Amino acid sequence: MNPREFDVIIIGGGITGAGMQRDCAMRGLKTLLIERSDIATGATGRNHGLLHSGARYAVNDPESAAECIKENRILRRIAAHCIDETDGLFITLPEDDLGYQRTFVEACQKAGIDAEVIDPDQARRLEPAVNPALIGAVRVPDGSVDPFRLCAANMLDAKLHGGQVRLHTEVTAILRKGDTVEGVQVRNRVTGEEEIFSAPVVVNACGIWGQHIAELAGVKVSMFPAKGSLLVFAHRVNNMVINRCRKPSNADILVPGDTVCVIGTTSTRIPFEECDDVAVTPDEVTLLITEGSLLAPSLSSTRILRAYAGVRPLVSADDDPSGRNISRGIVCLDHETRDGIKGFVTITGGKLMTYRLMAELATDLVCRKLGVDKACETAETPLPGSEERSYEQVAQKIWETPSTAQKAAASRLGTRASRISTGDSREQALICECEEVSAGEVVDAIERMDASTLTDLRRRTRIGMGTCQGAFCACRAASLLAGSPGGTARERADLANFLQERWKGNFPIGWGETLREAEYTQWVYKHVLGL
Amino acid sequence: MRFDTLIIGGGLTGLVAGISLQKAGRSTAIVSTGQNTLHFFSGSFASLKEAPQPMAELFAEAGIGLHYSPGVRLMPMGTFREAELSLDDVSIFSTSPFARRVLVISFPGYHEFFHPFLVEGLEKQGIYCRVHMLDLPELSRLKPATGEMRSLQLARTLDTAWNKLVQEIRLVLKDEDTVILPQVFGLNDPSVPGRIRQGIPAQVVFVGTFPPSIPGIRTQILLKRRFEVLGGTYLMGDQVMEAHVHDGVVHSVVTRNLDNHYLEADHFVLASGSFFSKGLMSNPMRVYEPVFGLDVAAAEDRNDWYNPEFAADQPYMGFGVLTDSSLHPMVDGRPLKNLFAAGSVLGATRPELGTGAGLAVNSAFAVADAILQSDTSIR
Repeated sequence: MNPREFDVIIIGGGITGAGMQRDCAMRGLKTLLIERSDIATGATGRNHGLLHSGARYAVNDPESAAECIKENRILRRIAAHCIDETDGLFITLPEDDLGYQRTFVEACQKAGIDAEVIDPDQARRLEPAVNPALIGAVRVPDGSVDPFRLCAANMLDAKLHGGQVRLHTEVTAILRKGDTVEGVQVRNRVTGEEEIFSAPVVVNACGIWGQHIAELAGVKVSMFPAKGSLLVFAHRVNNMVINRCRKPSNADILVPGDTVCVIGTTSTRIPFEECDDVAVTPDEVTLLITEGSLLAPSLSSTRILRAYAGVRPLVSADDDPSGRNISRGIVCLDHETRDGIKGFVTITGGKLMTYRLMAELATDLVCRKLGVDKACETAETPLPGSEERSYEQVAQKIWETPSTAQKAAASRLGTRASRISTGDSREQALICECEEVSAGEVVDAIERMDASTLTDLRRRTRIGMGTCQGAFCACRAASLLAGSPGGTARERADLANFLQERWKGNFPIGWGETLREAEYTQWVYKHVLGL
Repeated sequence: MRFDTLIIGGGLTGLVAGISLQKAGRSTAIVSTGQNTLHFFSGSFASLKEAPQPMAELFAEAGIGLHYSPGVRLMPMGTFREAELSLDDVSIFSTSPFARRVLVISFPGYHEFFHPFLVEGLEKQGIYCRVHMLDLPELSRLKPATGEMRSLQLARTLDTAWNKLVQEIRLVLKDEDTVILPQVFGLNDPSVPGRIRQGIPAQVVFVGTFPPSIPGIRTQILLKRRFEVLGGTYLMGDQVMEAHVHDGVVHSVVTRNLDNHYLEADHFVLASGSFFSKGLMSNPMRVYEPVFGLDVAAAEDRNDWYNPEFAADQPYMGFGVLTDSSLHPMVDGRPLKNLFAAGSVLGATRPELGTGAGLAVNSAFAVADAILQSDTSIR
């Protein structure tokens, strides 16, 4: 096998690219995934982590709503360890129009979403955190999904099926012979090393950055970047997803996830050049707290852990006057028929919820191009770790009487948690106390899941996501990363970057306990440890 | 209960002020929440070089060895900083490279000591390093899974097992001229670091770990012991909830644990620290001092509290209570006549008193002097 030749090269390590690589690899294709940063660095990791029931789109975009509920049911089957089956409420507040509820429920039913009108009293009992002033409530099958875990599990399964992954590697050129794409030229952003890989099909799955990759291939895909800001609260205030039963607006979804909850979002169109460095403004923070407190009043007195923003990969209608692609959400472009460029495909638009369907559509197209006739199996085959539904049972099978840390590991890794049980008690040393991540789990992520920086580790293990925001775990995990070949000098810079990245999400909400924690972190790293 | 002076805050500042006053025969009480910045003390007193006479005396009487000579000290991340007045634990090197070959010791399952960074920093200086993970039967009893493999538990174990450690190091030492150890010795027995230095046939250098700082906790223990031996009252794990102030004079305070008693005093010292210790607090609107509602020097616009660069100097760290020339803090611009502020609650408002641990000690002595010189029957 020529290590530089593939059947398909996928550019972009978000959920779309990872899902696409899994699908391609499961259909027997030899795949390479190239990501300029880490998995889930773009919109994939910068959203609510909401497992949409589709209810939010039922009134305005019934087609998306139907896709969502279908994928919602599939993900519960195939990605159990990434999903928290919380259910959700759509609440009507006194200032909202209760008449909208009927329109909403009818639209949900049409899309195939179980939407049940419940009594406000029952809503208050089901979800004690909800605004008690509510005058109406509808229960829907919303949930929460950990996008990092989902992305990592897809990548992992692609690797198990022989796929190769190059992270921190940037595509510098799309190689063409005449009108035919033949491969890519890449540069490793850590070592600077350049390489060429060839494949008869190259897939652009770069979300908002797909505009740039399309340019490299000589075609035009216009994206409309829309920034959305969110806040993470330090406690899981609510157990169910809480939405406002009205037309989608700012800061009207509160999603519980792991140990925290997330309020969002805002929506602001930004220039394409700003996509790489979006920041949350003080006005957005105020808006999110104010609106969020209408869903769950206790948010106004709950510590905020951090603020973050992402860019939605909305596709402009420039090259698609019919607008049909936009209305469907998912945009799958065959540049051979669209632009006369053979061997190049763009898959974009869509949502975290519909990543699998996007991957299926694009893989179908790739398979047609390659003359491969194999059906998609991603809707039936569980992701690695998701073979069992209950993480508590998983933990019990592995450890008999699991500690809370071992249960936490099982909730993150699913059945794969057995890989970190080596019998050596020292592997169990906690690196991150907030999220209870052990040395064994960190080493697993470094060795088997391509983590090479602290931020990579955060996405795979949740280190640094807890209340200390990395104060305690960053230097411990950095020492483990520094053990890799030639690693220490690089790791010193990585540690500084990680702390900077944490601070970026902390200072916009830097008061109270957050400022107290920040003072500790800044003092310790600068004056005590001498970084 | 009535005291000559009541000190709010039991860290370095409160203890130094309390010992000075108690030594001068003034009955003093310290209210301490229990956590303070000595728990992450690097072992060096920022902005101080040679110890001022009263400080040298006070620390010697408490059994805490201090030293200073011009040079550099080695930080946990393998960097070097200019030497300052330091605890005896801290090695000061007048020349660097300070060694040719170093044996770096750490412990299996211990993640609070960053030897890869240390080694990289030393190798940059041309120092050859060998890392040895030292295991002792006593250490294998500590369970990493439940967080027992941290500095404090390790230090407790090594307070009795240190001689076995010395013997093991004698065996594994080859041609190294220097041994580097994590600074986890002498928690309850201050003589241990010195005895380890004597026991190993090489230069011994202790390098700091992730907090809590063992030398810092030991310093706290020794200063507190000294304060109590002198007759001082140390209210541990308590917190001042409110103060009674009339006509610019503080009459008494109420604490969480003693909520039926007014703690009265002629003088009060606010040594409650900065944000970490909750001497200063903040909300989205403002930075405030929670006990007395004192005037605070802080930027009004929250956007001016921070520098977006993590590594840059942060404006909020300079915020502190405003004081007059005698360190009396103020409410609405009017000084409280028998209240003094000292330590990091001052922020960077009194640069002439130093920074960090230097500010703590300097301002503590300044306040103690002011109290001793003032008329005790102020009311």
